[in-house]
Amino acid sequence: MIRWAWLLLMCWPLASVADDALTEVMRMLAAVPAMEGTFREEKTLAVLQEPLVTTGLLYYRAPAFLRKRTLTPQPEDYEADGDWLTVETPAAGRRQFDLNGYPQLRPFVEAIRATQAGDRATLERYYQLEFQGTPADWSLRLTPRDPQATAYVTAIVLRGRGGSISSMETLEPDGDHSLMTITTR
Amino acid sequence: MSSVSRPPRTPSPSAEEGSQRYRRLIVSLWLLAVLGCGWVVLTTPVTADLTLFVPRADPVAELLLEQLRSGPTTRLILLGLDGDSETARAAVSRQLAERLRSTALFTRATNGADALPETELQALFAHRYLLSPTLSPDRLTVDGLHAALQQRLAELQSPLAVFQKRWLASDPTGELLSLLRVWQGGMREPTKRLGVWFAPDGDRALLLVETRASGYDLVAQREAVTAIRQAFVAASVGTGVQLTMSGPGVLATLAEDQVRAGAEWLSALALAAVVLILLLVYRSARTVWLGALPMLSALLVGAAAVDWVFGKMYLITLAFSMTLLGETLDYPTYLFSHRRATETVTETLRQLWPTLRLCVATTVLGCLAMLDSDFPGLGQLGVFTIAGIVAALVTTRWLLPALLPPNWAPPRPVTIGAWADAVLHPRPRLALAIGGCGLLVLLGLAIETPPLWEDDLAALSPVPRELLRLDQELRTALGAPEVGHLIVVTAPDAETALQDSETIAAYLNRRQTEGVLAGYDGAMRYLPSVHTQRQRQAALPDTESLTANLTAAVAGLPFKSGLFAPFLDAVAAARTASPLRPEDLSGTLLGTRVGTLLFPGERGWTALLPLSGVRDSRTLAADLPRVEVGQAYYLDLRAETNRIVAGFRGAALQRLAWGFALIVAVVWIGLRSWRRVIAALLPVLVALVFTVAALLAAGERLSLFHLVSLLLVLGVGVDYGLFFSRPDPDPDRRRRTLHALIVCCGSALTVFGMLSASTLPALRAIGLTVALGVAASFIVTLVAARPLLTRMN
Repeated sequence: MIRWAWLLLMCWPLASVADDALTEVMRMLAAVPAMEGTFREEKTLAVLQEPLVTTGLLYYRAPAFLRKRTLTPQPEDYEADGDWLTVETPAAGRRQFDLNGYPQLRPFVEAIRATQAGDRATLERYYQLEFQGTPADWSLRLTPRDPQATAYVTAIVLRGRGGSISSMETLEPDGDHSLMTITTR
Repeated sequence: MSSVSRPPRTPSPSAEEGSQRYRRLIVSLWLLAVLGCGWVVLTTPVTADLTLFVPRADPVAELLLEQLRSGPTTRLILLGLDGDSETARAAVSRQLAERLRSTALFTRATNGADALPETELQALFAHRYLLSPTLSPDRLTVDGLHAALQQRLAELQSPLAVFQKRWLASDPTGELLSLLRVWQGGMREPTKRLGVWFAPDGDRALLLVETRASGYDLVAQREAVTAIRQAFVAASVGTGVQLTMSGPGVLATLAEDQVRAGAEWLSALALAAVVLILLLVYRSARTVWLGALPMLSALLVGAAAVDWVFGKMYLITLAFSMTLLGETLDYPTYLFSHRRATETVTETLRQLWPTLRLCVATTVLGCLAMLDSDFPGLGQLGVFTIAGIVAALVTTRWLLPALLPPNWAPPRPVTIGAWADAVLHPRPRLALAIGGCGLLVLLGLAIETPPLWEDDLAALSPVPRELLRLDQELRTALGAPEVGHLIVVTAPDAETALQDSETIAAYLNRRQTEGVLAGYDGAMRYLPSVHTQRQRQAALPDTESLTANLTAAVAGLPFKSGLFAPFLDAVAAARTASPLRPEDLSGTLLGTRVGTLLFPGERGWTALLPLSGVRDSRTLAADLPRVEVGQAYYLDLRAETNRIVAGFRGAALQRLAWGFALIVAVVWIGLRSWRRVIAALLPVLVALVFTVAALLAAGERLSLFHLVSLLLVLGVGVDYGLFFSRPDPDPDRRRRTLHALIVCCGSALTVFGMLSASTLPALRAIGLTVALGVAASFIVTLVAARPLLTRMN
């Protein structure tokens, strides 16, 4: 019992150090007014013989505009602005969704958008946060709080340096996973 | 009338009448009769539906009523949640829907958040190749498959792929998605916020509830409404969210509440006024409760007679009959005003008896014509009034003297000064002028022919207009089918009904693209006919060619080999599966949905296609395709209801004409003089012309309620005519008659004048018509009855 108490006491400063670092990273991310970059995403899926690689452009503007424009292999455009998600695909054309109406979509959008915005409150609403590293080189593991969301996603891991995100890895319960690397321009 | 309810018509030898035993016998007989009638009334159900208006053997009308009673659109309750924040509204919406789903009262409680339960999803998935509307033969060719697979691959690159890839291996052509679209469609789905339905501006969260009970089962609807309110109270604890509700059931219960509240308040007031008048005039509390006895007996006996003959009572019959029995309030007044200290109560009654008897006989005969009728409503009205009015007469003639001391007279003697003689003095010129006026007005009505009738029942709905607007708002926001328009298909069996529905659906699709209607629903959307399912099966390729097609289609695409084996198996299984029939769906949500739109009845099956956003019902109805075996009807509920009401009114008018002929005959039998017949009846006819003209001038259109009120005016007016035209040489008795009629007319004017101030359209109609009619009858008969008599003498 005493040993447990000791352990707890020893960990206390560590936890608060991690918390301080997360706060610092969030502050740095929040200070970024806009971002433009390219991405390369590699999806490893059980149904496909080989990984599916997509590339494209990524735009962000504080506080709530995020656009993922896929160029290859199929052009696709996803634009999240506030509560609205606009999807444009060659097959279905342009469609708009109210994110409020599709609660299962929201965590996906917020994983990257709220992180880039340094909006910790929103992140905490959907995920449990696990921070590792230092503000100069960090990783943030997001575990969905909603049990319905865990059916689709085990965790999302974001890595970054200071106020810029360098990669986002999505792990799914069936073993499928994807890694998106971001190069800021 | 029932035999138990009538006190015996004992001849009344005056020697015995005084004896206590005789009095006790009368009173106990009356009490027995009242108790017996009360028991019959209490044990018989009162129903509130429209069947009483409907003539027997009218197929469209029967369909319509079936719809009104139990159609799926009448079961819908629309809910709106306002106030507080958006998150609060969404949270309450979720909780409320969950609570409502857990009760057995509702077959559906949706707010947009209700994804199909996994078992139902699996059921749809299992039958996708028979049910999917998008499965055409070219979908499973090499080209079709290749296109589908390319699309699936494109979807895999999307961030949303996590939701879709689950179905990829067994449903590469995406039939499940088509089925889900059908499931959610039918109506245009409202916008969603925070996962639940909201009105476009986001101020109001929306829910749609379907009750298990029919919309016209008022008791069950009240239960449902109460359950919703309770669930809402529990779901909204601690928030400022407010609930609004609409739908046929809600409106009907609300109408009942409104009528009850409005009628109770007004009738209490009217009762107080009548009591006050009686107290002021006669200065005796006895006159108040004795005066009420004939009316009370009339109501009880009338209701018991209807219950006994018909086994049930319509709410509206009760309301109409109570109006008609207003005449019975006059009977005791005739007695009180004619009381003189020089004679016994029984003697006074004997004096009045011939006239009183004739008053009752005219009313009874007027109603007798209604008995021979195809309309159960008219029949009930007739039986009620006849039994009631006879009971009132019997009560007045035999019970009142048994309850009064033989020499009783009102404490305040009926004093009516010399002015009465002046009023009663015959004025032939004035009478002629009034008659001329009446003729002119009649001529004017004949030439002008203003719109006379109001057949729209909705115009008489006691539901406030804001609520009807709210109903429309909720309906538009939810895209719910309107109650007004639907296509009904009847067929000998479910399969034919479905096939016919498919024929009509093809027609509706075409019309929809032309913009004639916004959408429609129907069982065939969820469950195609066996015929269609077999066609789909026949078009499915065998495993060999499908495998060949798939291999060719998958070439060049990165899918793992063997991935689509479940797809091949599923198609192979579907080729030999037995088609789905309605009975296979029982117990599922899909089955419930189909069951409200396709159901067996007494003569085969009925399929319903509710329409929404109909822009041109006439064109839509005119070009409705002919179906082969069954029959398809376009029902515009409102137009049909109006047609039925108009038919009812026509029948009532015709019978009224017969009734009037009978009245003339009986008055002639009673008076044995054409002059007296004319003196008694002509003035009331003139008064009726004036009344109708005044109503029309006031901007009213005549509804059934006006018509029934005019019947009462006729009954009362004939009484006035009969009393005023009595060739009584005794001036004192004439004064007393005038006194009686002033009291009668005064109390009728007070009571019905109060009703005319009501905001309820039906009460207003009754009040206005009777008040105007009674006043006109009084004045015209007063002025014209005696001149008509004396002049001809």
